[in-house]
Amino acid sequence: MTLRSLLKTLSLVLCIWGIATVDAASTEPAAGEKLFALHVSRLLVDKCNACHGADTLKIKGGLTLTSHEALLAGGDTSSRVLVPGSAASSLLYVAVTRSNPDLEMPPKSNDRLTEQETWHIRDWINAGAPWPDAERIQVIRERYGDGVEVPTSGGLSDDWTHRRYQPENLWAYQPLNVAPVPISGVQNPIDFFIERKLHLAGLAPAPLADRRTLIRRATYDLLGLPPTPEEIEAFVNDPSGDETAFSALIDRLLASPHYGEQWGRHWLDVVRYADSSGFANDYERGNAWRYRDYVIRSFNEDKPYDQFVTEQIAGDELFEDAPEGSRNTELLVAAGFLRMGPWELTGMEVARIARQRFLDDVTDTVGQVFLGHPLQCARCHDHKFDPIPTRDYYGMQAVFATTQPVERSAAFLDSENTLGFDERRYLGARRKEFQENLKRLADKEEAAARRWAEERGLDYIARDEGLKNGVPEDKLAPKKIGFDVPDYGLERISRKGIEHLRWELDRYEPVAFSVYDGATPNIKSVNSPLRLPSDRLKGDLGEISILAGGDPFSPTTPVRPGALSVVNSFAPDLAERKIPDTLEGRRTALANWIVDPKNPLTTRVFVNRVWQWHFGNGIAANPNNLGATGKKPTHPELLDWLAADFVQNGHSIKSLHRVIMTSKAYRRSSHHPDRRELEEKDPLGTQYAVFGPRRISAEELRDSMLAVSGELNRAVGGIPNRPEINHEAAFQPRMVMGTFAAAWQPNPTPAQRNRRSIYALKIRGLRDPFMEVFNQPSPENSCEARETSTVTPQVFSLFNAQATYDRAVAFALKLTQLAESDSDTIRNAFWQAYGRDPSVDETQICLAHWSTMNHRHENLQMPKPEIPTVLVREGVEENTGEKFTFTETLRFYEDFVPDKKLPDVDIKVRGLAEVCLIIFNSNEFSYVY
Amino acid sequence: MSIKRSFGFQTRRNFLYGLGASVGSIAFTNLLADEPSDIATQPGPLAPKQGHFPARAKRCIFLMMEGGPSHIDTFDPKPKLKDLHLKEFVREGKTKSAMESGKRYFVQSPFGFLKAGRSGADMAETWTHLRNVADDICFYRGCQVDSVNHPTALYQMNTGNRFGGDPAIGSWMTYGLGTLNQDLPCFVVLPEISYPQGGAANWSNGFLPSNFQGTPLRPQGSPILDLRPPEGISTDHQRENLDLLAKLNQRHHAQHPSHDELVARMQNYELAFRMQMTVPEVLDIGNESAATKSKYGIGAQPTDAFGRRCLLARKLVEKGVRFVQAYAGTWDSHDYIERAHGNLVRQVDQPIAALINDLKERGLLDETLVIWCGEFGRSPDNGVRGGTAYGRDHNPKAMTLWFAGGGVKAGHTIGATDETGAEAVEAVHHVRDVHVTLLRLMGLDDNKLTYFHGGRFKQLSQFGGKVIQDLIA
Repeated sequence: MTLRSLLKTLSLVLCIWGIATVDAASTEPAAGEKLFALHVSRLLVDKCNACHGADTLKIKGGLTLTSHEALLAGGDTSSRVLVPGSAASSLLYVAVTRSNPDLEMPPKSNDRLTEQETWHIRDWINAGAPWPDAERIQVIRERYGDGVEVPTSGGLSDDWTHRRYQPENLWAYQPLNVAPVPISGVQNPIDFFIERKLHLAGLAPAPLADRRTLIRRATYDLLGLPPTPEEIEAFVNDPSGDETAFSALIDRLLASPHYGEQWGRHWLDVVRYADSSGFANDYERGNAWRYRDYVIRSFNEDKPYDQFVTEQIAGDELFEDAPEGSRNTELLVAAGFLRMGPWELTGMEVARIARQRFLDDVTDTVGQVFLGHPLQCARCHDHKFDPIPTRDYYGMQAVFATTQPVERSAAFLDSENTLGFDERRYLGARRKEFQENLKRLADKEEAAARRWAEERGLDYIARDEGLKNGVPEDKLAPKKIGFDVPDYGLERISRKGIEHLRWELDRYEPVAFSVYDGATPNIKSVNSPLRLPSDRLKGDLGEISILAGGDPFSPTTPVRPGALSVVNSFAPDLAERKIPDTLEGRRTALANWIVDPKNPLTTRVFVNRVWQWHFGNGIAANPNNLGATGKKPTHPELLDWLAADFVQNGHSIKSLHRVIMTSKAYRRSSHHPDRRELEEKDPLGTQYAVFGPRRISAEELRDSMLAVSGELNRAVGGIPNRPEINHEAAFQPRMVMGTFAAAWQPNPTPAQRNRRSIYALKIRGLRDPFMEVFNQPSPENSCEARETSTVTPQVFSLFNAQATYDRAVAFALKLTQLAESDSDTIRNAFWQAYGRDPSVDETQICLAHWSTMNHRHENLQMPKPEIPTVLVREGVEENTGEKFTFTETLRFYEDFVPDKKLPDVDIKVRGLAEVCLIIFNSNEFSYVY
Repeated sequence: MSIKRSFGFQTRRNFLYGLGASVGSIAFTNLLADEPSDIATQPGPLAPKQGHFPARAKRCIFLMMEGGPSHIDTFDPKPKLKDLHLKEFVREGKTKSAMESGKRYFVQSPFGFLKAGRSGADMAETWTHLRNVADDICFYRGCQVDSVNHPTALYQMNTGNRFGGDPAIGSWMTYGLGTLNQDLPCFVVLPEISYPQGGAANWSNGFLPSNFQGTPLRPQGSPILDLRPPEGISTDHQRENLDLLAKLNQRHHAQHPSHDELVARMQNYELAFRMQMTVPEVLDIGNESAATKSKYGIGAQPTDAFGRRCLLARKLVEKGVRFVQAYAGTWDSHDYIERAHGNLVRQVDQPIAALINDLKERGLLDETLVIWCGEFGRSPDNGVRGGTAYGRDHNPKAMTLWFAGGGVKAGHTIGATDETGAEAVEAVHHVRDVHVTLLRLMGLDDNKLTYFHGGRFKQLSQFGGKVIQDLIA
C-alpha cells in the first residue's frame, strides 16, 4: 500500500466516521473552535506544556495551560494571560510574538512559533477563545485536520498517539515507490532520474570526464589509493569504447582486496570502531581487530547486505543455532558490532546505570545505523518529530535485554591474518617488569610493617590477613607503610599496568569481542576480559520497562521486545514478524525484521549511504536520519529505484557500485562549461550537473604518500599496527584511571609500521593527531558523513611533520633509482603523485628548486633524531599530591629500525626530497576531481 | 557533520580559516589576483560577533581543578564532622553500590578554617594568598552533577554531556562570540604535562566546526604539535619551500578556477607559517618583569608550573584570546587528604591570587570571567582505611565552585550544603544552570546558542536550563 492509498483509506474511514459523529454532535464547529482543535491545542501541548503542563513539580511561574480555567486564571505575575476577544491584551499572544524582550515564549529561540502559528493564536483569542471538549476536538480534527494520523504502538499520552503528521515527513516509511523507467537498454536508470530533473531546471550537465580523471576518481573511490602510472597508461590506452573500458576498470577495482579496506573504513565510521573502551580506563579491546577484518572481508566477498546486517546483530545466535561442527566463528566476531560504543564498568559506577548505558547505546545505534533513525530522543519521552513512541524505544531495547558482553573463545579462520603474534614478547617483558616492581614494593612494605610492629611490641601480622581475621586496625601497620613518594606512583602504575596488559595480551588469543544471550551477571566492575559464565542464567533476567525520564531506577510499564511500530503500520506484513521474549532469538528476530525486503527503511538507508560515499552528498543528506528532521531526498524516485534494484540484485553491494559508477552522473567532469548558469540554476549543488571534487580523507592522504613513496605494505588484515605518530603525542602522558597510560610505541620495522591506515591501532584516549586534524571522526558517535575543514594544524601536521619528511625521503630515493636524467626524475615524480606529465614550466621550477635545495643541504647540518629506549614520566601522585617521576621502558624501541631521514641520504636525494615534500603538500595531491 | 563539497560558489562563503586568518595580511595575495575581491573580505567564522545580551564579561579564564577538589577541605567548613569523626557512615539510595568497600566512616577535615576578607568568606587555612582577594570572589555551594566517575563528570563540566563528543564550553563561547585576535587560537587549553582523564575530548569542538576546537598549548616540548619543522630547517628554507608550493598550487588552481577550497588551503599555509612565529612570541614570558613572575610563584616550588599557566592565561586573554582553560590536578585525594590537598592548595593558591590581582591591576578583571571548579566535590566519608590516612571519595551532590570578575556577585557565598557536606541544600542547581549562567555573563543566551545536529538543535545545557540570578551582581 502506498502512502497515498493509505491516506485515502484512512481518511475515508475517518471521514465516514467523522461526519457521522459531527452529525451526531449536530452543530457545525465555529471558526474559533476549529482553530483551537486544529492548531492552538497542539501548540499548547508542543510548545508550552513542558513548563506549564500537568506536572506540578515542573510548573514555571505558577501558570498552567492545560485547561480553559487555568488559562483564564493566569499565573503568578498576571491574570491577563488570556483575555477572550482581545489578543492584543492577552499575554499569551504577546509572548509568542516575541515582541517584548522580557516576555518571549517559548524561551528557546529555536522553538519559536512561526508567524502563521501566532496568527492562529491571535485569531482564536479574537474569536472568543472557545475551548471545545476532548470529544468535540477529536471530531473536528478528524473532519478538518490536515496531516495524517499514524498508527503506532501508542504514546504516553493520547494526544501524542493521535497527533497528525505532514505526509512529507513520513516519506521514509512508505513502501518503495518504484517509478517505471523507460527501457532503452542504453541509458542507466540513474541518468533517467537525474536528467529529468536537470531538464526541468533547464540546466545542461557538464560533459563526461576524460579517462585520466576517471581512473583517478574511481581508484580513490573504490580503493582509497592513487592509480599507478602503469594502470593509468593501460586505461587511457584501452582500445575499447569508453563505457566498456570503464566497466572493466570498475570490475578490476572491485576485485582488489583493497576495495574492502576502503569501503570497510566507511562502515567503521558509522559503527564507531575503536580498539579501546574509552572513558576512565580506556582498556584496549584486544580482539576488536577481528571485527574490523570481518567487515573488510564482507565487502571483499560481496556479502549480501541482509546477511551482513543479520550477522552483526545476531551472529552469536546464528552461531549457536548451527549444528556443532558446522559453526562459523566469524559469526561471533560479527556480533562485536553491538559493543562498538565506548563502555566500561568501574567500581566507582553503579552497575545498573552502566548496564543501562549499554542498552541505550545499542538501541540508538541500531536505529541510526540500520534504520536511519536516531532513537535516543525517545528514551525519555515520545519522539517529538517522528512517530516513534517511547514504548517502541523500550520495546527495541527489550530485544537486547538478554545481550551480554563477552570475550569468548572463537578459533581463528584460515581467512584471518594471524601473523605478527610474536610481538607479544614485548608485552610479556613489560608485565615482568611490573610484577618485579610490585614484589619489591611489597617487600619494602612488609619490612616497614615489621619494624612498626616491633617498635610497638606487637606481633607482625600482614595487614590483609589481619583485617580478614578481625584484628583491630590499630594493631596493624598502616597500608603502604614505608612507601616513599615515588613508591605510591610506581605501585599504582605497576598494578594498573598489569591490569591493562590483560586486555592487550588477549589480542593474540583465539577470542572474539562478542556477546551472548544470558542474564545480567552481578558484577561491580570489569577490569579484565569477560569470559562466558558457567551459568548463563545466573543474575538479573532483565525485564524491560518504560523508564520514566530514562532513569533505570524509575521503571513504569513493562514492555515486550518489539521493533518500530510505525514501520509495521505502513507494511502490515512486517508486523507478522514477532520478536519472542525468550532468552535467545530476540536479536535474530529483530534482524529478520530489519532486513525483510518489505522494510523500506533498511534498504533506503543503505543505498543512500553508498550514494553519499560515491558522490559526497546523500540523496537524503542525513544518512543517519530519514525522519522528519533529516533533510528530504532530492531525488526520491531515484533513491527508491536504487533500493528496489539493490534488493532485486540480492543485496549485492558490488552490483550497486557498478550501477552507480557506470552512470553518466558519476562520470561527469567536475568543470561546468558555464559556471554562471550552474550557480544560478543549481545554487545548492544538488543537481549532479557536475561531479563534485573532494579532498582525500586523512587515511587516504597517509596511504597515498606511502603508496607513492613505495613504502606501503599492502598486507590485508591482522592485529593492529602502530605507525610512528608525532613523537610528542606518542609520549604525551595521559591519565587513565588513577595512573598513566602506556606510551604509544611504534612497531619496530618499517614494513610493520607502513600498513594502510585502517589497520592502525585506534585508541579512544590517544588519537593520531594527523588523523584527527584531517577530520577522521572521533569514535564516540556514529559518523554519517565526514567533515572536510581547512584548519591551520593541518599545515603543521603535513608540512612540518617528521613523517612527511620521511615519506619524501623514501619517495626521492625511489625516484633516483628509477630515472637517469633529472628532468626524467621530475617527470616520474609527477606521474607517481599526480598521474600525469609535468608541463615544461613545472619541470623547470621543480628542477630549479631541487638545485637550490641541494645547495642548502650542502651547508646544512641536521641532527639525526635519537631513538628513545626509556621515557621519564613526571606526575602528581594522587595519594600525596606530590610530584614524582618514574621511568617507562620502551620495549618496542629496543629493536627499532628507523625510516631513512634526510641526514641519511646524499645531498641530491635531500634536495629532491624537498621537492617531494612540496608535492605531498600540494593541492593537486590532496584533491580528486 | 557534513561534507562540504567544492562547488566554488558555496565554499566561497563557507571556507574555513583554521585557527583564524586575517586574510588581508596574507603574503601571497597575488595568488588571488584572478579571484573576485570579496573572497578576501569575507569575515571568517572566528570574526568577533555580537552576543544576545550586553556582555558582563568579554573573555573567560577557566581554572579546572581536575580530579574533584574537596569542598569540605577548601571552602565549605563542616564543624559537625568533628563530632562524627570516625563514626560509621551508611550510604543509601541508588548510588549505594558505587564506591562500596566495607565499612565507611565520617572523616573530619584536617584543616582549620578562617574567615577571609570583609565578606568573611570561609577558607581553609591553607589558602594563604587567595584570602587576600576573597572579596573579589563569589563562592557557590549549590551545584550538582550527574556522574560519580572522573571522565564522565569532567566531560559534563566541560561540555554539558557526560558521555563526551559534545562541544566544550570554550567552543560554544567562541562559536557565539568569535575571537578578538585572528592570529591566535580562539580557545586555548593549558593542560598539565599529562592530559586529564578523557583526554582531548575535554576540549573538543564536538559537532561544531573544527575552528572552534580547543588548542592545547603543551607545557613541555612543542607547544603546538609540529609547530616547527625538523631541527635544522630554517625559516628561509621553509619560505623557499612554500614558494614552490605556491607556484605549483597556482598552476593547479588555474586548471580549477571554480574550486575555492584550493584558495583557502593555499592561504592556510601562509597563516600557519606566520603562526610559527607568533605563537612562541606569545608564550614567551621572558619580557614579563621579575616582580610579576615572582608574584605568580614562577621560579619557586611548588608554584612554578601552575604559576606559568596562570600568567600565560593572563597574557593570552590580554592578546584577545576569548577563552582560556588552565588545568591543575589531580585532586582525586582518596587517601591522605591532608598531604594531598595540602600540597595541591600550595601549588595553586599563590598563582590564582596573583592572577586575580594582576587582572585587577591591568583593568581586565571587570571584563574577565574567572571560574574555579573541579568535576565534582568529595564525600564526608571515606572507606578505605578508617583510621590512619583519611581521604574522601567522589561526590556529585555537593561541591564548591567560585567565580570572579565580570558580572559576578563578588564577596558573597551563595547556596549551602547540609551539615556534613554530603548534599547541596540551598540554591541547588544542576550544572546545566551554571553553564547557562556562564553563557549569560558572556552575553550569550543558551537557548539561542544552538547548532543543528543529530536531528535537533543542540545546546550547551543539553535541553535548556536557567540563569542562576543569585550569582550575578
